[in-house]
Amino acid sequence: MYVRKSLSLLIAKTFIKVLRIFGRGGTSLPGKIALKIYPNILKELSSGISSIVVTGTNGKTTTSRIISTILDDANYTFISNKSGANLISGITTVFIENQHKDYKYALLEIDEAAFKTVSKHIDVRYLLITNLFRDQLDRYGEISHTLANIVEGISNCPLAVICINADCSLLSSIGRQVKNKIIYYGIDQPFPTTDYSLSDAPYCFFCKTKYEYSYKTFGHLGGFSCPNCGYSRISPNIAVTTLQEMNEKHSVVEMTVDNLKIKTTINLPGEYNIYNGISAFSIGYTLGIDNKTLTHSLATFKGGFGRMENMSLNGVDTHIILVKNPAGLNSVINYLSTLSKPFVLTLILNDQFADGTDVSWIWDVLFENLQSNISMISHIYISGIRKYDMALRLKYALLPENKITICTTTKELIKTISNPLLIPNTSYILPTYTAMFDLRASLGKQFKLKEFWK
Amino acid sequence: MKLTIAHLYPELLNLYGDGGNLIAMKNRLNWRNIECDIVKVPLGQPFIANQYDIVFIGGGQDFEQEVILSDLKGDKTKQIIDAINSNVTFLGICGGYQLLGNYYKTKDGQTYDFIGALDLYTIGQEKRMIGDFMFSCPYIDNQLVVGFENHSGKTYLGKSVKPLGIIKKGYGNNGEDKTEGARFKNVFCSYSHGSLLPKNPALCDYILQTALQKKYNINLEELDNTLENKAHEFIVNRLK
Ligand SMILES: [Zn+2]
Repeated sequence: MYVRKSLSLLIAKTFIKVLRIFGRGGTSLPGKIALKIYPNILKELSSGISSIVVTGTNGKTTTSRIISTILDDANYTFISNKSGANLISGITTVFIENQHKDYKYALLEIDEAAFKTVSKHIDVRYLLITNLFRDQLDRYGEISHTLANIVEGISNCPLAVICINADCSLLSSIGRQVKNKIIYYGIDQPFPTTDYSLSDAPYCFFCKTKYEYSYKTFGHLGGFSCPNCGYSRISPNIAVTTLQEMNEKHSVVEMTVDNLKIKTTINLPGEYNIYNGISAFSIGYTLGIDNKTLTHSLATFKGGFGRMENMSLNGVDTHIILVKNPAGLNSVINYLSTLSKPFVLTLILNDQFADGTDVSWIWDVLFENLQSNISMISHIYISGIRKYDMALRLKYALLPENKITICTTTKELIKTISNPLLIPNTSYILPTYTAMFDLRASLGKQFKLKEFWK
Repeated sequence: MKLTIAHLYPELLNLYGDGGNLIAMKNRLNWRNIECDIVKVPLGQPFIANQYDIVFIGGGQDFEQEVILSDLKGDKTKQIIDAINSNVTFLGICGGYQLLGNYYKTKDGQTYDFIGALDLYTIGQEKRMIGDFMFSCPYIDNQLVVGFENHSGKTYLGKSVKPLGIIKKGYGNNGEDKTEGARFKNVFCSYSHGSLLPKNPALCDYILQTALQKKYNINLEELDNTLENKAHEFIVNRLK
């Protein structure tokens, strides 16, 4: 057995080196091969390490990045799957790479469908579940199925303290399904842009009666209660009580934590990032890190790879935001419709496996809401494998055709988005998953950006 | 001129971008100066089917179909059957298509009685039939219909119901007999969800025409379908 283990490690490490020499990330394949040769490799390498796991539909990467800042600020020694390779292969690769390093914690973003398997191998002590939305149904099946998978995964980690979004009626049901200690976080106020018509979970999880809401923040998140069986939102341990300020750079909120009032800045724009901020806060709180450190981390955190990345391309102020499902893209559209300075919008739609092979979800996105701020949108560029479907969606959202241009190749797209004459103001680029990787790779070469796995 | 579309169970049967079909119908009417009202008919609301020119029923999650069945029984079932017999136009997608049939037998052998408006039934199986697909449709000239299917139910048509088309690529109703969807009077059903109508403008217009002819006896003007056809052809070329 020992031979197989050594062999597995040796081959995986060689792969990591070779793939990176050739400029490929090498974040998944080495782990995949190592597990094939020696299936126990992940369990053995992660033994004795407390894992902090982040799962859920939206916000995993951003939240992991904030937690990473918190752990740095609190002087924890830890490893993490920063590149976002969040299946068992990617997690195994991270442990192999760091085999001889000295660390006590592993901060792991894990795909919500992969969690039930990965949790058998690692020692999960802290688990954060961000939210559950409809996402790539061709891959995951129904939401209730995804939830059942997460609950099954929790049965593999009885020692884990779980941080749950109290505003999500699906996730909150976990509190009744498992015996683990649970910390709830939530927002007590509606968001200014709440659209009450959108919900991925209108009916009671337990008795299928329609929920009543005292307010909503986003989608099905908010103050839900079931008039029939009494299942309702639990008052959160970490509660945002006031949304004080929201602008293009950050949000300022007031929270109540253990009866203490705390004011904090979350150094990312957009309502949805308030959830990401307080969910990361809840993990820090669970770890026992003091409020002062936590608010400092939230206020100074810098956006990570892809999810909201800022860069300058020939002087064009560029923001890349990953979009992958209706809930996520709707929240970005809400954000864009609050901007008060002109900007150029670029949408890149791919339909490879990691994007979801079914692009129908774009018809669930309220592109119509861009009309309200159309005077600020100087132009819209469209690209990607399914560019015509995206262009068609915008046509049927009645956005002005003279503001829409299709870029047929990546080369043409890059030329466009890095041309200050075409993009005189701020540029927002919204790619799907594989489109982001392609774009990032091309931009990286041309503009010498930092490689994403570093 | 105005058509009124009923959207049955909008809060439940709204998966996979089915709303795209409503957006397509509404815009393609508006672009010809025909008004279009979309009326949501949620669970628990009375439904007088004959008041509408088009009734749209989308797809849903299994969890939600149970909720719907108890609401559909009784008066709503009668309303739907009467409306179909008086030639009201219906569009049923995925779960909405199955609900119009006689029954659904799950893979565990349990049978759910559906409303029996169309002579067809569905059998559940483990394996999902997922992917881009393409079928030829006799109701539109020389044209292929493209879409994306994602279903685990296999549907079989009775004698009185015609298929909406013949499968060229993909599974369709059951992956066995090459049929896809159903056509009975002015009822159109398909397993193609999401952007079925936006990407297949000829089919969209044909369906609208059935409702228009009943009410106003007029023909639809041509529209510029350049972009629609590009999205359509992309999938045709991929599947060829
Ligand atoms: Zn209930």
